[in-house]
Amino acid sequence: MRRALVLSAALLALAGCGDAPPQAPAEGGGGGGGPPPMPEPVTLADRPDATGGEALYLEKCAMCHAPNGMGYGLLGRRLDQPNLELRDDLTADYVTTAARMGIGNMPAIPRGEVSDAQMKQIADYLAAGPHPGEVGK
Amino acid sequence: MADIPLPPGLTEARLTDVQRAFERALGADKVFFTDLDRTTYEDKFAVDDAGHHPAGAVAPESVEEVQAAVRIANQYRMPLWPISRGKNLGYGGSAPLLAGSVVLDMSRMKQIAFDEQMGTVLVEPGVGFYDLYDYIKANDLPFWMSTPGNSWGSVMGNALDRGMGYTAYGEHAKNIMGLEVVLPSGELVRTGMGAFSDAPTWQNYGFGFGPGWDQMFVQSNFGVVTKMGLWLMQEPEVQLGMDVEWDKPEDLKAIVDALAPLRRERIMTSHSSIGNWLRVASTLTTRDQWTDKPGALGDDVIDAIRKQFGLGWWGLSIRVAGREEVAKAQYAIVKAAVDASDPMSIRESTWRKGEPIRGDGWSGTPITFPMQNANWYGGRGGHIGFSPIIPQDGTAALEQFQRTYARYKEYGMDYQGSFVFGERHMINVNAMLFSQDDPEHLAKIDPFFRQLVADAKEQGYGEYRTHLDYMDLVAGTYDWNGDALRKLNETVKDALDPNGIIAPGKSGIWPSRLRGERGA
Repeated sequence: MRRALVLSAALLALAGCGDAPPQAPAEGGGGGGGPPPMPEPVTLADRPDATGGEALYLEKCAMCHAPNGMGYGLLGRRLDQPNLELRDDLTADYVTTAARMGIGNMPAIPRGEVSDAQMKQIADYLAAGPHPGEVGK
Repeated sequence: MADIPLPPGLTEARLTDVQRAFERALGADKVFFTDLDRTTYEDKFAVDDAGHHPAGAVAPESVEEVQAAVRIANQYRMPLWPISRGKNLGYGGSAPLLAGSVVLDMSRMKQIAFDEQMGTVLVEPGVGFYDLYDYIKANDLPFWMSTPGNSWGSVMGNALDRGMGYTAYGEHAKNIMGLEVVLPSGELVRTGMGAFSDAPTWQNYGFGFGPGWDQMFVQSNFGVVTKMGLWLMQEPEVQLGMDVEWDKPEDLKAIVDALAPLRRERIMTSHSSIGNWLRVASTLTTRDQWTDKPGALGDDVIDAIRKQFGLGWWGLSIRVAGREEVAKAQYAIVKAAVDASDPMSIRESTWRKGEPIRGDGWSGTPITFPMQNANWYGGRGGHIGFSPIIPQDGTAALEQFQRTYARYKEYGMDYQGSFVFGERHMINVNAMLFSQDDPEHLAKIDPFFRQLVADAKEQGYGEYRTHLDYMDLVAGTYDWNGDALRKLNETVKDALDPNGIIAPGKSGIWPSRLRGERGA
């Protein structure tokens, strides 16, 4: 838990609730230089060569599962590797079930949003991980 | 097989007919009526899991398919619940107010048309904040979005529900510039200059000629919006920031009175929010890291949280953005006002165009990490909020806080409150965090929420946006002159939607044939 707290604190300059505009935790008090720059969101524009399951993962999942996303932060509280693209223990069935049923704080993902065919591509991509080359692009 | 939720007056056999009609019109791959499909469209942050279950969903991919779905709904008198992406978690998400409705899921409609010269965009319902951010980044466009704390959702859906962001463009409904709407009859209409065939100014001038209808389709059930124009903010030369902490709860009055005049004068333009220590702690940590005691957090725990993160009782972030000369002058005025309010600490920052963008929500970047607060109690988390509009006045804000904080303690809830600066008002956001796996705690939410509504009503304070469970309750507080506004809304509803098929009950507006469903 301690490790996760440090990780999150490094990523966060703001914290908020729903539509309530957030504030900055002035860690260690005020003064001096401002917060460290936070990572930008990861989207397809960062990896324009991505295709198939990787491209779908970036479009449908990365908003929560890339660094500074909710899923990344919450998984970081429980796991050493919060980045799904760097996991080596995911199966396609597990990914599909977690997405369709929801898990923990992750809401279920309907078929209107991610079709069965798209879900299969995403699940197969994550099951074939880790993908350090793709993440590092 | 679980019981299939049905809308009033519709049999299961008839529902099968509806499903087949949707399949013929849209194709079976856009029609979803399995038990699992229904579950995936339920409210993910529900306080009461039993409410708001849909009968199924359809996912049109074009305006023509939306029109086809609406015509079928009319034929069978089947209520539709339109969603853009269904991610307004805390307000009902993708779930319909009326159980048995069919969710009209437009998340597959993702066209973007951008006018780089004018800084305007035309989006379809499925365009999320991350999609638009990606488009801006891929095309290297010098514009910033205004993003909400949960940017997973739709740009259009958020604006149509009066969602908020942080920057000067943070009141999203005010930046709407032209709509395309499928009326309940299936007819297609464009508002403002969009009504003028081939006008090149649809996203530039909002009124057109005659009555302006854009706001009529905001938080309403008078049609299905299929395109929305929006103004974006020019990427600034510079962004100057300060993150400020104040030590005592009573400081709220001084903060509001120091900054409100500058907000009204448009010197401070950001939609800044004064928030307490739990806003940080609930995002970064879980409750069991601090205490195992039930009831509202005690002062000892509050002190420990504040010490660990260097927080005051209240914190506030302000950003001033624009041309450097102008921004510096504005910032100096804001800084002087903050200094005079006796802050505990101030942390300043500067960003200049060309430097790496900060992924913090203040710089046109979408974010989802604030939703980590739903994990505060552990288990399957959730939250809802009570957010009345209050006067932009220090004494009013302090008294509202004191009343509300006392209620949080009375009901044993951890207080997460904030006060957002609008231009002439404040929104007092009161978050109620919970675990869906703690029935005892969950049972307190409904009476607590109703108490807050009643308390605010006594002061003349009404909510700006609410969860499905409370739309009738909140609409009922807007009761001037014998509920004249509700009567007007429902007269319009019946005129446009005689079969009552579009989002019955949304914002407390019921069609005549379903008025018996109105709750309390």
